Amino acid sequence: MAGDHEIDLRVQIGSSLTLPNPILVASGTFGYAQEMSRWVDVGRLGGMIPKTITPFHRPGNSPWRTVETAAGMLNAIGLDNDGIDGFLTQHLPHFLPLACPLIVSIAGASPDDYVQMTRRLSCEPGISALELNLSCPNVAGGVDFGIEPNTGSRLVEQVRAATQLPLMAKLTPNVSNIADIARAAEDAGADGISVINTLLAMAVDWRKRKPMLGNVLGGLSGPAIKPVALRCVYQVAKAVSIPVIGIGGIASIDDVMEFLVTGASAVQIGTANFLDPTLSLRILDDLPNALRYLGARSVAEVVGTLQ
Amino acid sequence: MAELSSCPGYHYRAAQVVQQVSLGKDTYRLRIQCPQIARAIRVGQFVMVRVHGLQDPLLGRAFAIYDTDEDCLDIAYLVHGKMTHQFELLRPGDQVDIWGPLGNGFSMAPTDHLVMVAGGIGQTPFLAMAQHYLGRRRYGAAEMPADAEPLANRVTLCYGARNAEYFAGLDDFRTAAVELRLTTDDGSLGEKGLVTDALQRVLDENTRADGLRVCACGPERMLASVCELVRSHNLNTDRRIPLEVSLETPMACGIGICFSCVAKIRQLDGSWDYRRTCIEGPVFCGEAIVWD
Repeated sequence: MAGDHEIDLRVQIGSSLTLPNPILVASGTFGYAQEMSRWVDVGRLGGMIPKTITPFHRPGNSPWRTVETAAGMLNAIGLDNDGIDGFLTQHLPHFLPLACPLIVSIAGASPDDYVQMTRRLSCEPGISALELNLSCPNVAGGVDFGIEPNTGSRLVEQVRAATQLPLMAKLTPNVSNIADIARAAEDAGADGISVINTLLAMAVDWRKRKPMLGNVLGGLSGPAIKPVALRCVYQVAKAVSIPVIGIGGIASIDDVMEFLVTGASAVQIGTANFLDPTLSLRILDDLPNALRYLGARSVAEVVGTLQ
Repeated sequence: MAELSSCPGYHYRAAQVVQQVSLGKDTYRLRIQCPQIARAIRVGQFVMVRVHGLQDPLLGRAFAIYDTDEDCLDIAYLVHGKMTHQFELLRPGDQVDIWGPLGNGFSMAPTDHLVMVAGGIGQTPFLAMAQHYLGRRRYGAAEMPADAEPLANRVTLCYGARNAEYFAGLDDFRTAAVELRLTTDDGSLGEKGLVTDALQRVLDENTRADGLRVCACGPERMLASVCELVRSHNLNTDRRIPLEVSLETPMACGIGICFSCVAKIRQLDGSWDYRRTCIEGPVFCGEAIVWD
């Protein structure tokens, strides 16, 4: 039996980023770290991805913004955030003392929005990587960069040219062939692929003949979507040679191990944070034993080892 | 039952159900053993509770504290949806996941006459509030001093329900020496009418210029009416009766990370912004809330 010190939990993303472990928390499900620092030692995570920021403050969608469905929930928050200025002045200083890598999630309405934000964030200390949110389903009027390989790859190319920071492209499952989009993002210079964002969905109150969400449509997340997320990780991991970060319905160490053996190099825990703010760190504590069960001495040894 | 959160003051636990008793039609009082939260929680704060181990229903639900003792806390709930139907099945020894204490709570400023206004299941934070104000109990970390002065001389509960069956916990309020002003939609108990009618009468009866405070909890439309009533009463009588409102906005996490539970709150510059009721509320100054 190997001791804890012999299990190597590190994950390499691109040439410059080494995550201390594969347990990350998904954008939009962990606030800006101030909130979660009350509950857990956020600095022990493999990486922290704050709520997506946009060029300007957005109030977000009108309520209701979330509704629970079978083993999951719909959300249509609408990228409620303080904008990049608010992020840099009010939120970033609270991340700097944390030991874990900070991966900033950005979204815009045009490639130029992404490029401008990337330039500004690249000048700030303490940011380890960027995650390009190409796929928020809840913002009307914007271009959905993640649904067509050419638009997606052009955007990644432009951002790539604007920064040395490692880039992760977060993809939507609401496409006919997610592997094509992932391959296009890799060719354009992405260092990792995050899959999946939420599934476009709807809930209805038939008695009132009304949709449940203020925004009508929203994104489905939670344990209900895990099989879809695993399928996407499987397809994407076969299509690209850069690391895949698995997201979708992860709520236990078993879920994490399923994603790793299917091809994810790391995972992000999302909706489950809402029902247990301590979950991500408890899963991290359980990880060495689960790896040991497979006779592995590192995370890398089990990634993509489906037989 | 291991303490799972690592930071002082905030607790996430799998905790045992101790007791479940009926309070009224479809309404129960659920006693949960959780000393850490029971001893720390203040009036108007809340906890999130879910049935341990279930993925459907998935998310916690927010509950005000009905009462506490050394080791346990009580929530009162109306059977209404998926989670509360599961709650109804809970028996002593079953486990729930509970996290808290959450939210800001009421300001608990001393006053001569405290008026609490509740609609539906909105009475749940007010038993603790009344006991605290009348000097019968102290909630939160503070010890009950032997010579505790009451924070109010009188406490009135204006409480509206659909009909007599739905009133929950009336005996608890009577035992706490709370003056009750009940209203029902059908007149089956108390006055027939709206709870705001009862509030109007209390405000009209008490003509002292100061020494009155109003706190309200209940359905959104009722709360909007209470805000309007107090605002126009203050305007017409030149009084400055303070009003605090506890919002029941649906929440997913209760801890400020999901941005679901927003309400329109007036900012210092007069504009409004969506603010999270879980961490900036659930109690807001009545004047700050922008009603649609």
